Amino acid sequence: MADALHQPLQPKNGQENEPFAIRSYTPQQLKDALRKMYLIRRFEEGAEDSYMRGLIHGTMHLSIGQEASAVGACMALTDNDKITSTHRGHGHCVAKGADVSKMFAEFFGKESGYCKGRGGSMHIADVEKGNLGANGIVGGGLPIAVGAALSAKRLKTGAVTVCFFGDGANNEGAFHEALNMAAIWKLPVVFVCENNQYGMSTSTERSTAVTSIADRALAYAMPGSTVDGNDFSAVAEAVDTAVSRARDGQGPSLIESMTYRWRGHSKSDRNRYRTKDEISVWMKRDPIGRMAKLLRDHKIMSEDDIAALETEVEAEIAEAIKKARSGPDPLVSDATKYVYADAAA
Amino acid sequence: MTGEAHTDSSLRQLSYAEAIREAMDIALAADERVILMGEDIGVYGGAFQVTGDLVHKYGEDRVMDTPISELGGAGVAVGAAMTGLRPVFEFQFSDFAALAMEQIVNQAAKVRFMLGGAASVPVVMRFPAGSGTGAAAQHSQSLEAWFGHVPGLKVVQPSTPEDAKGLLLAAIEDPDPVMIFEHKILYKMKGTVPDGHYTTPIGTAAVRRSGADLTIVATSLMVHKALEAAATLADEAVDAEVIDLRTVRPMDRDTVLASVRKTGRLLCVYEGVKTLGVGAEVSAMVAESDAFDFLDAPIVRLGGAESPIPYNPELEKAVVPQVPDILNAARQLAGGTV
Amino acid sequence: MPTEVILPKVDMDMATGSIASWHVAEGEEVAKGQPLFDIETDKAAMEVESPASGRLHHVSVEVGSEVPIGTTLAWIYADGEDVGPPPEHATSAVTDDHVVSSDAGAPRAVLVDQSAKASELQGNSSSAKQRATPAARKLATQSHVDLADVTGSGPRARVQRADVERLLDVPAPDAIAVPALPWSTQQGDLSVLSSGSGEAAPWVLIHGFAADASGWSAVEKQLRMSAAVHRIELPNHGRSPRRKVADFRDLVSQMRQAFDGLGDQPVRLVGHSLGAAVSLALADTRPRRIESLTLISPAGLGPEINGVVLAGIARASRPESLGPWLKQLTGDPDVVTPNYVQAAARQRPDGQGRAAQASMMDALFPDGVQAFDLHAALSRLECPTRIIWGRRDAIVPWKHALRAPGQVALHLFDDVGHLPHVEIPEQVCALMML
Repeated sequence: MADALHQPLQPKNGQENEPFAIRSYTPQQLKDALRKMYLIRRFEEGAEDSYMRGLIHGTMHLSIGQEASAVGACMALTDNDKITSTHRGHGHCVAKGADVSKMFAEFFGKESGYCKGRGGSMHIADVEKGNLGANGIVGGGLPIAVGAALSAKRLKTGAVTVCFFGDGANNEGAFHEALNMAAIWKLPVVFVCENNQYGMSTSTERSTAVTSIADRALAYAMPGSTVDGNDFSAVAEAVDTAVSRARDGQGPSLIESMTYRWRGHSKSDRNRYRTKDEISVWMKRDPIGRMAKLLRDHKIMSEDDIAALETEVEAEIAEAIKKARSGPDPLVSDATKYVYADAAA
Repeated sequence: MTGEAHTDSSLRQLSYAEAIREAMDIALAADERVILMGEDIGVYGGAFQVTGDLVHKYGEDRVMDTPISELGGAGVAVGAAMTGLRPVFEFQFSDFAALAMEQIVNQAAKVRFMLGGAASVPVVMRFPAGSGTGAAAQHSQSLEAWFGHVPGLKVVQPSTPEDAKGLLLAAIEDPDPVMIFEHKILYKMKGTVPDGHYTTPIGTAAVRRSGADLTIVATSLMVHKALEAAATLADEAVDAEVIDLRTVRPMDRDTVLASVRKTGRLLCVYEGVKTLGVGAEVSAMVAESDAFDFLDAPIVRLGGAESPIPYNPELEKAVVPQVPDILNAARQLAGGTV
Repeated sequence: MPTEVILPKVDMDMATGSIASWHVAEGEEVAKGQPLFDIETDKAAMEVESPASGRLHHVSVEVGSEVPIGTTLAWIYADGEDVGPPPEHATSAVTDDHVVSSDAGAPRAVLVDQSAKASELQGNSSSAKQRATPAARKLATQSHVDLADVTGSGPRARVQRADVERLLDVPAPDAIAVPALPWSTQQGDLSVLSSGSGEAAPWVLIHGFAADASGWSAVEKQLRMSAAVHRIELPNHGRSPRRKVADFRDLVSQMRQAFDGLGDQPVRLVGHSLGAAVSLALADTRPRRIESLTLISPAGLGPEINGVVLAGIARASRPESLGPWLKQLTGDPDVVTPNYVQAAARQRPDGQGRAAQASMMDALFPDGVQAFDLHAALSRLECPTRIIWGRRDAIVPWKHALRAPGQVALHLFDDVGHLPHVEIPEQVCALMML
């Protein structure tokens, strides 16, 4: 039994020569996926620019360089499926189908934002599309994802929950408690660890006893695998397999998606713990460039198509920022609204 | 338990634990979304036999034993509440809330707010609390004030079997997270409990005894000690009004202030540590209100000592208010010698 | 289009910063990602990379000068791009529309719970140093008692409510009703003082509890010019004999005898406080004899009445104990001068009279509650009726007037207390004669 669980995830039948994404998705799905990856990149650049101009309060955590992981993981999901996200969650939110102008509006603290200006970057959520929210607490979303999966099983909604978390969370107690419970109750949840190598400044080598976080799956009797998180097709394949398994009632899986954030941990990061050389090596593994190449190589999009797509996304971002900035501010007298369902409580 | 026949339901006596179990039974039967979660609440019946045999009636899927994982378990309940279930999560001892504070304080209490009202967390958490069982420092605390300090949570402390049932049913139906502090000493206390479904409104105090000379605001087990003291005081021509606060958050301001306006004297009795406790909030609420003008003596608080709960039974009694302490304080207040 | 170089926000609480040094001189080439300048904030220094490749132009901020975040510092022109005048920047930052910053200003205060208002909690200045409970301070303020004159019986000589009450010669509330002195009844009719003459229907005036006919003097002087004025005095008041009054019905029955003794012609009936309640009851049983009815601060329209003050007046025998209570009767306590108090004290009955009044009060206002309700009688009236009341009445709440039916005229005066006919006699007379 345990052996069966720990077989490496195998590609589906036959066409081993072609990547999973090419075998499994229509050209339109692949174009949409690339578009979402651009959208995440430009969204975060736009957010960064707005932040630097003083238009955004607080701080933010950018996932530039991790786009394949977010978009690839959401390929197997429908709007009925749930995700829980992290403080580095803009990509997950876009990948799950959010409207970028409502996201910008949230960043600008507007009543028209996803959380009516109460949450900001760190609590961005889109419940209608199944995004139960980013989380300011490392590991905070893990038990919640298990709870969502418990609801799905009990209420027979057929929904699967993808739980995103970072390498930092794998040393929190909540990670271990959540994985254990998901396994004992065979809940439809897929744990996707986006291992970007650093928990703030502390590398996984310095913080984590195992070499591969996926190895921790063994302790909770679930399949664990490690994939190249900058390879859209690889991420999509691993998560697709795990989601199918969850939908079949076989319980949870753990996927470690190896990736890298190009930017600092937050806007206060001075990058003192890693070298420019290391960053530039990872920038050469740009997940968007690789995805674009995949589509070019398979004649799904031409160079011109891709350039046009980029231009279109840039226009969408510019328009979204403009729209978001013109949204209404919340009333100060409403500052404590939404604490309770009954506002008078 | 539901098979028992009662010729006169108005006189039906149940224990506090039985009343809580009956509330859970009613909720489980009425609403498929309701599940119970907690450590050893299944065949074991719960550490204090509160869930009892419910697992046999509703199965392990709805009366779920969790691993000893307070943080994870509480978080699973929060996530399940966000996505359609109505979990009632039992902590084995209220002290273990310390293990789960992250999910209660940072998640359950704040999700609705952080999401601008887009989601709610209708979770109920039950905490067996209080001293008097010889369970010593890590199994005897009264931590309700911790949670009373957190906007987004509601916090109740039923003192009677009737309220234990009514407040739990109200909590299960409430759209927001409700923390219920049940005093372990009260589990075996019997009292009249109405049949069937009813709710006790969260946020309302109860005047347990009407009086003119002094107001005693008490919570949980202390309500009973205050009533015992009030009976003795009546023989001494001191007419004490005893208010059972019932809900710590949101607090029933109107009932407390009206009583203080009438009596001009306030005594707060609570088991939690005195400093920054529930009685501190009651006192401040009165001092900040127009009822201040009616005070004819300083406010007096009797709370837990500035100490962990000791093991030795005499010491254990000494660190929480007892009837003679209440009598002493009330006599001084009513006699104008405070 | 050249690329804008701005002073970036690099820290959560950063509002301004300055350039420590440029790594690239104006006009020099720079590659995207290459260090462009060093920024200095109040916390740290940090290197900023070039946002684009090209040549640096239009450097507009000097090294060392502090500028707001988002300020344009320079422009980078790509190879072959024309270097004209500096472009308008796309989105000016900090000065543009609203900026989210940590010192967003005033709104915070709106959310602070304002249930405690310091101003409401202040005692009057002469009492401020005296140790006293809030309840004692409140009573002292209401009764115009200086706390410095009160001896405190509480710990550390703290003045408690009972100490103020003792000074005011008030029995404790639960003892109000118990008459302290024995008294005997007297024979004879109720006293009626008549004056004036004229064609118009006569006036009949009935005073309130613990007052007497002299209370009408200001009004009577004007009324007697055009008509006869009859002032009936209540039993146990003024020159009327001491009599047992069992209850309100008994009081009305005794007063009706005196009223019937005035003849058959219609009269204009005026009552104050308890006298107004009696007038209302008379009008209810003698409708054909009433041309008009004026009720001044009437009792009988609601349960509340300030029994503490009434008892205080009823039991007061000396100016010192009477003064504080009288000051409660008027909207402006300064109307009650020492001379007024002296005069009022002289009018007070002797010990037996005071005991008789206290006994009457107990019968009519047991436990400080009006034991009779004339609301129904008011609704039955057919004669023109008006109610005159002061909104600062501390004895009977003026809001009882709001129970009056539509045909009754209401005249409410803002700064007037329980004695409109004493405080504003001209206006009261003008209304009565309407």
